[in-house]
Amino acid sequence: MELKHKKNSAVGEEIFFGKHPSGLDVFIIPKKGYSKSYAIFGTNYGSVDSDFIVPGEKDETHVPDGIAHYLEHKMFDQPDNSNVFDKFSRLGANANAFTSFNMTAYLFSATQNVKENLAVLLDYVQSPYFTDETVEKERGIIGQEIRMYDDSDSWKVFFNFLNCLYKNHPVKKEIAGTIDSISRITPELLYRCYGTFYNLSNMALVVAGDVEPEEIAGVIEAGIKKTEPFTEEIRRIYPEEPDETASNYAEQTMSVAMPMFMLGFKDTDTDCGDLLKKSIEVQILLKMLFGKSSRLYKQLYDGGLINATFAAEYTMQPDYAFTSVEGQSGDPKLVYDTVIKEINRVRSEGLCEEDYDRVKKVLWGTYIRSLNDVEDMASEFLRMHFMGVDYFDYCRAYKSVTFGDVKKRFENHFVPERSALSVIKPVERE
Amino acid sequence: MENINLIYVSLEQIKTTTIGVYIHRELNEADASKNAVLPYVLRRGCKLCPDSGAIEKYLENLYGAQLHAGVVNMGDDQIMRFEAQTIQDKYAAGGEPLTEDLLRLILSVMFEPVTEDGGFKKSTVEIEKKNAKERIASVMNDKRVYAMQRCMEEMCAGESFAISCRGTIDGVDAIDAADLYDYYKSAIVGSVIDIYVCGSADEERLRAVIEEKTFGAEFKPAKIPATPLHKKSGDVKRVTDRMEVTQGKLSIGFSADIAPQSKDMFALMVMNSVFGAGAHSKLFNNVREKLSLAYYASSGTIKQKGIIVVNAGIEFENFQKAYDETLAQLECIQNGEISELEYKSAVSFLVNAYEAIKDSPEQLHHFLADQRVSGTNYDIDYCKEKISAVTIDDIVRVSKRAELDTVYFLTGEGE
Repeated sequence: MELKHKKNSAVGEEIFFGKHPSGLDVFIIPKKGYSKSYAIFGTNYGSVDSDFIVPGEKDETHVPDGIAHYLEHKMFDQPDNSNVFDKFSRLGANANAFTSFNMTAYLFSATQNVKENLAVLLDYVQSPYFTDETVEKERGIIGQEIRMYDDSDSWKVFFNFLNCLYKNHPVKKEIAGTIDSISRITPELLYRCYGTFYNLSNMALVVAGDVEPEEIAGVIEAGIKKTEPFTEEIRRIYPEEPDETASNYAEQTMSVAMPMFMLGFKDTDTDCGDLLKKSIEVQILLKMLFGKSSRLYKQLYDGGLINATFAAEYTMQPDYAFTSVEGQSGDPKLVYDTVIKEINRVRSEGLCEEDYDRVKKVLWGTYIRSLNDVEDMASEFLRMHFMGVDYFDYCRAYKSVTFGDVKKRFENHFVPERSALSVIKPVERE
Repeated sequence: MENINLIYVSLEQIKTTTIGVYIHRELNEADASKNAVLPYVLRRGCKLCPDSGAIEKYLENLYGAQLHAGVVNMGDDQIMRFEAQTIQDKYAAGGEPLTEDLLRLILSVMFEPVTEDGGFKKSTVEIEKKNAKERIASVMNDKRVYAMQRCMEEMCAGESFAISCRGTIDGVDAIDAADLYDYYKSAIVGSVIDIYVCGSADEERLRAVIEEKTFGAEFKPAKIPATPLHKKSGDVKRVTDRMEVTQGKLSIGFSADIAPQSKDMFALMVMNSVFGAGAHSKLFNNVREKLSLAYYASSGTIKQKGIIVVNAGIEFENFQKAYDETLAQLECIQNGEISELEYKSAVSFLVNAYEAIKDSPEQLHHFLADQRVSGTNYDIDYCKEKISAVTIDDIVRVSKRAELDTVYFLTGEGE
């Protein structure tokens, strides 16, 4: 595997990268002077991928919801009955894994034995072992994970919000599935998903820390077990999603102290060319419209309608994207109405260029900060890579954004008809 | 600046500078609610930036520097805290002195608040009282944290530690803008104030800014509040709360009666790691992996009080099973049933965690503040050495001091 090298002296970062003959993309980010190293080995496969066509097959495969997450849990069981966590613990590493909508990742952080830990990571993720007994054992554990989310107000307000925005897209489904859907998961189905999505040509590995790139590349070469990449794409089947929202309001009652809400806008400009540029534009807008220096924030905060939990975020993937604004309020509907009123005001009066100039500086600070922590940086890099975005390209994209772009993005994204409000109400007490 | 200690730690490898201000106050009934509101009121305006909007714009011009007000407690030390962060000066387009400008704002917030009619601004205080009450009420939202907090409240009933650092609804209601200002005037000159700066800065320049901003302040002698250990008294306390929830939350408190300054504290930390901190631990491997009772089952220490607390999310009907297994696992440790792997994993887990602090300014502030409150002032490498020197015999010995004290269960309405 040949390593290429890129450097960005303005921010003092460099990266070594290459493609292994197996199809695995490898990225090594040296961080001089750091105590901690971090490796993340991920597959471009998440909770949204339950319907697909395996390369070389004609028929569609449909698997139960929550299977990507279930598979992640079961990767820790090994053919020789050894315990993966024991191996990492012995080497002083902190190991974990997670499943999101679009990716499953296995990771460790360590302040020593980085190469040995990396060998363990490569080995176990390439060693699937599922039996009826081990799959059955996990149902209780994941069942408790699902129950934990059932009691989580922030989780429920989010998924109810997604169910407002999306009619068909599987992003509206909970990542771990349901008690019912996971009851249908079998070793055979897990092997089928593993064989499809854990082909190394669908995976990538990022290592960040005070490491020698050539040494790390050597450990990776030695640790790769299979070398035949797919020659065809995995076809992922997502249903047609209309521009309009499924509904504009949802509410649920839970044991919370006061109402909480999430409101936001569905992004329908999903196939735009430059995703990184788009995300910078939307993030600038979120700060201009909802940030702590904004007119709206002042009005809501001084009016006692929101508190410091108020926050806005942009979630972006190539095939879906949305902004979300969450917080606690005695009157979520009034918050929503105030937001829509402000959006309409800006639509007629226009955005303020002075705010734009100031907020664009903020985004630069946010970017610099994102390079601070090896874990955050490597994870963000991998997430972007699976979207086809090179995070090392950030400076170029940042410089290319103009006030005109941001005005256009505002017109395109902040459309009241494509907004929704999700509310969690407290249980009424006698 | 007699009461103010500036602690600068150079972290050249990272790209930000982080400033943590810790104002140490004694946790007591009379002042807890005031301390819970005060930093938020101060954060709303100062001489340098007269209102929130001006503060936010000032921060945005520092490339989105952050400034958070908050209140926490370490044992009976209630800490009013300002945490701030900026990118290092060299990443600013014009090389502006970002760290110095940020520190100047923090000091103005602390020492030059906006006043009206001899008190804080009434409208500001009213909004921040509302927000403080919302924070108090919202503790119940995260059931895992809530269960643990209730367990500690019951276990330490009658001790200062049972007082919430967020204050109480009645306490906050009783605050008025003039009284709070009087309290502020005595607190700001009558407290130990530690300022941690981690990143890249000119220490002498920072000291000069502090001296300039505190010129004329008449500081009074102050100490870091001490925390008595929790002592078990009487029978095991058993408490059940009911709420509309789908998962039960079990929280079990053990008193170990070991002080932060004791040489046994390191042994207690390793013992806790064998018991329930990490994927190598007995609780993870038995309550979760073997019995499939929980997604999380873990333990932690409350160092200042010499307490170990276990937390698990379980089905309502599995209370007894999870409880029995937790106690059985502690008994295993007490009987010396600790494998070489469990021992080694626990030690390297902690050594790794200590070493990783060196890359994280937030964790470094917390580590340094914890040393300060504990009166130990160890450095990271010393802690690593001490952890590595703990033996299996030490673990068994300290585990025998862990006594079951309080069992708390949050269950469903109909259970």
